[in-house]
Amino acid sequence: MNGGISTTPKERFIAALKGEKLDRPAVGCVTQSVTVDQMEAVGAFWPEAHSDANQMALLGAAGYEVFGFENARIPFCLTVEAEAFGCTVDLGKVDRTPMVKKHLYAAEDTPVFPEGFLEKGRVKTVIEATKLLKQKYGDKLPIVVGTTGPLTIAGHLVGTENLLLMMITDPEAVHKFIKVAAELEKQYLKALVAAGADVIAMSDPSASTDMLSGEMFDEFAKPYTKIAWEGAEGAIKILHICGDTTILLDHMIDTGADALSIEEKVNPAKAVELVAGRAALVGNMGVVRPLLQGTPEECVQHALEIKAAGFNVVAPGCGLAARVPKANIEAMVKTVKG
Amino acid sequence: MSNEILEKLADVVVKGKIKEAKPLAEEALAAGIDAKTIIFDSLSKAMAVVGEKYESKQYFLPQVLLAAQTMYQALDVALPKLEVDANAVPGKVVLAVVEGDVHDIGKNIVKAMLTGAGLTIFDLGRDVPVKNIVEKAKAEDAQIVAASTLMTPTLASMKEIERMLAEENLKGKMKTIIGGGATSKEFAAQIGTDGWAYDAVEAVQVVQNLLK
Ligand code: B12
Ligand SMILES: [Zn+2]
Repeated sequence: MNGGISTTPKERFIAALKGEKLDRPAVGCVTQSVTVDQMEAVGAFWPEAHSDANQMALLGAAGYEVFGFENARIPFCLTVEAEAFGCTVDLGKVDRTPMVKKHLYAAEDTPVFPEGFLEKGRVKTVIEATKLLKQKYGDKLPIVVGTTGPLTIAGHLVGTENLLLMMITDPEAVHKFIKVAAELEKQYLKALVAAGADVIAMSDPSASTDMLSGEMFDEFAKPYTKIAWEGAEGAIKILHICGDTTILLDHMIDTGADALSIEEKVNPAKAVELVAGRAALVGNMGVVRPLLQGTPEECVQHALEIKAAGFNVVAPGCGLAARVPKANIEAMVKTVKG
Repeated sequence: MSNEILEKLADVVVKGKIKEAKPLAEEALAAGIDAKTIIFDSLSKAMAVVGEKYESKQYFLPQVLLAAQTMYQALDVALPKLEVDANAVPGKVVLAVVEGDVHDIGKNIVKAMLTGAGLTIFDLGRDVPVKNIVEKAKAEDAQIVAASTLMTPTLASMKEIERMLAEENLKGKMKTIIGGGATSKEFAAQIGTDGWAYDAVEAVQVVQNLLK
C-alpha cells in the first residue's frame, strides 16, 4: 500500500486478508452482519430481504453505511444451499434468522443433484445481489459473500443428528451426502466469483469441535472443503468454524483457506501464535458477550485485546444477533479505526 | 445381582451398544428391578457420564448421540412399567424446548425423571412457540410449565413465557421452571420464574416443592 495516500476500505480489507502489514487491522464482519438498527436505517427488512436482491444488496452495504464496516456482506443465513436442494426453510422474522425446517433424505436414499439450481430461488437472489453490490460499491468495498460448508449442508440433507450418528454407524453414507453437497458448493462459489464476489466466507458450524474431533474433521470435512474451494479461484477464501477451534486451526489451514474466522472461545494471542502467519485471522469479538449483552466499554476492551494480539481483521467471532445494540458495534469499529 | 445388571446397562449406554440396550432392560425388569431404579440409577447416571466424557473431549457429538439413542431404547422398555409412587404429589406438567432450539436430549431425560416421580407430563417436543406452550398449559389446567433451552439466542422465549402468563393473570397459579445449559439460577431469578434446576434429578425436587 502507498503510505500517505488514503486507501479505500477495499484496499485495506483485501490487504489485511492477504496478511500484509498495515498501520491498523481492518474492521468489518464476514459472518452474518445485519442488525435491526441497520434495517431501520436503510429501510430494508428481514424476512423479505432474504429473497429480494435489491433489499439484500441494500442490507449488504448497511454495515458500511451505518457502522463503517470496511466490507459488504450478503446473505444473512446458512440455508440458501439447503433450499437449493429442496429443503423447506422457515425464513424467520425481523430479528430471527432463517432455519431449515425439515431434512430431505433418509440414510439409505441417494441424494439428487438439483440441476439448474443457479437460475432458481434464493441462489439466484444472492447472485443478483452480488452483481448489484459490485456495480454500486465495487471500487470502494470488498464484496464478501457468505456460504455454507459441505458438512453443514449434508446435515441439512439428512438431519445433522442423523449425519453425526452415521459417522459411527454408516460412514459410507455420510460420504455420499457430503460429496454431493461439495459439488453443489463448488459450482455455487464459481458463479458467485463470476458475479463479482471478492471474498468467499464459508461457514461450517457443524464441523466445530463441539461436534467432531480433529480426526473426524480430516475425514469428513477437510477433503470436501477442498473440493468446494476449487470453485473459489480468483477470490479470497475465508473459512469460519464456530466454537473453540484452538485444536482445529492447523486442520482449517490445511483446507487451503487464505483466512480463518474464529470465535472468542480461542484466546486471540494464542491464535496468532499458533497460526504464525500461515493464514490471516478474522474475529474474534464475542457475539453474546460483549456484543449482545455487554457494554460499549467491554467492547472497547475486547477489540483492543484482539488488535494488540495481531488479528488481521477485527470482526464479530460469529454471526451477529439482530438485536446487538448499535453502541456496541460502534465501539468496536471506533476502537479499531482509532 | 441387581447392581450388576444396572451397571452393565449403564455401560451399554455409555458405549452406545445400541442393540444390547432393550434386552438388558428387559432382563433387569425380569430380575425384579423396578423401572424407576432403572431410570434413576442406571440410565440417567449413564448420560451424566457421557456428558462428562463430552466435556473432557474424550467423546464427540456422534458418540453422545449414539449413547442417547441407546438410552432411548432402554427407556422405551422401562417407562411403560413405571409404577406411580403412592406418596407422590400428583400434578400436571407441560414440558417443551422453546422455539428455535432443537436440543431435546436433556428435556427427554427430565421427562423420564418427572414421569418416574409420578407426574403427568404433556411433552410438546422441541422448537415450540411460546404461544403453544401457554395454550397447552391452559387447556390441560397444568400446575407446572417447564421449558428448556441450551442456546443463548432462544433465552428470550423464557422471558416471553413469564410475560404471557402474567398477561393472562396466570402467574402464581401456574408455576414455571426452566432449565438447560443456557439458563442459570441468576437468569431464572432475573426473569422471575418460580424454579430452576441444574439437572433432571434436581428438577424432580424443585417441581415437587413447587407443587406443595
Ligand atoms: C447434542 C448437541 C447438539 C445436537 C442436538 C441433538 C438433540 N436431539 O438434542 C445437534 C447436533 C442437533 C446440535 C445442533 C446444534 N447445536 Co448443539 N449441542 C449439543 C451438545 C453437544 C450436547 C447437548 C446435550 O444433549 N447434552 C446432554 C444433556 C443430557 O444435557 P442437557 O441438555 O444440558 O440437559 C440437562 C440439564 O441441562 C437439565 N435440563 C435440560 N432441560 C431442562 C429443562 C428443565 C425444565 C429443567 C428443570 C432442567 C433441564 O437437565 C438435563 C439432564 O440432567 C451441546 C454442548 C453442551 N455442552 O451442552 C451443544 C450446544 C448446545 N449446541 C450449540 C449450537 C450452537 C448448536 C447449533 C446452532 C450448531 C449448528 N452447527 O447448527 C445447532 C442448533 C440447531 C438448533 N436450532 O437448535 C451450542 C449452543 C451455544 C449457545 N449458547 O447458544 C452448544 C452449547 C455447543 C457450544 N459450546 O457451542 N447440537
Ligand atoms: Zn460461528
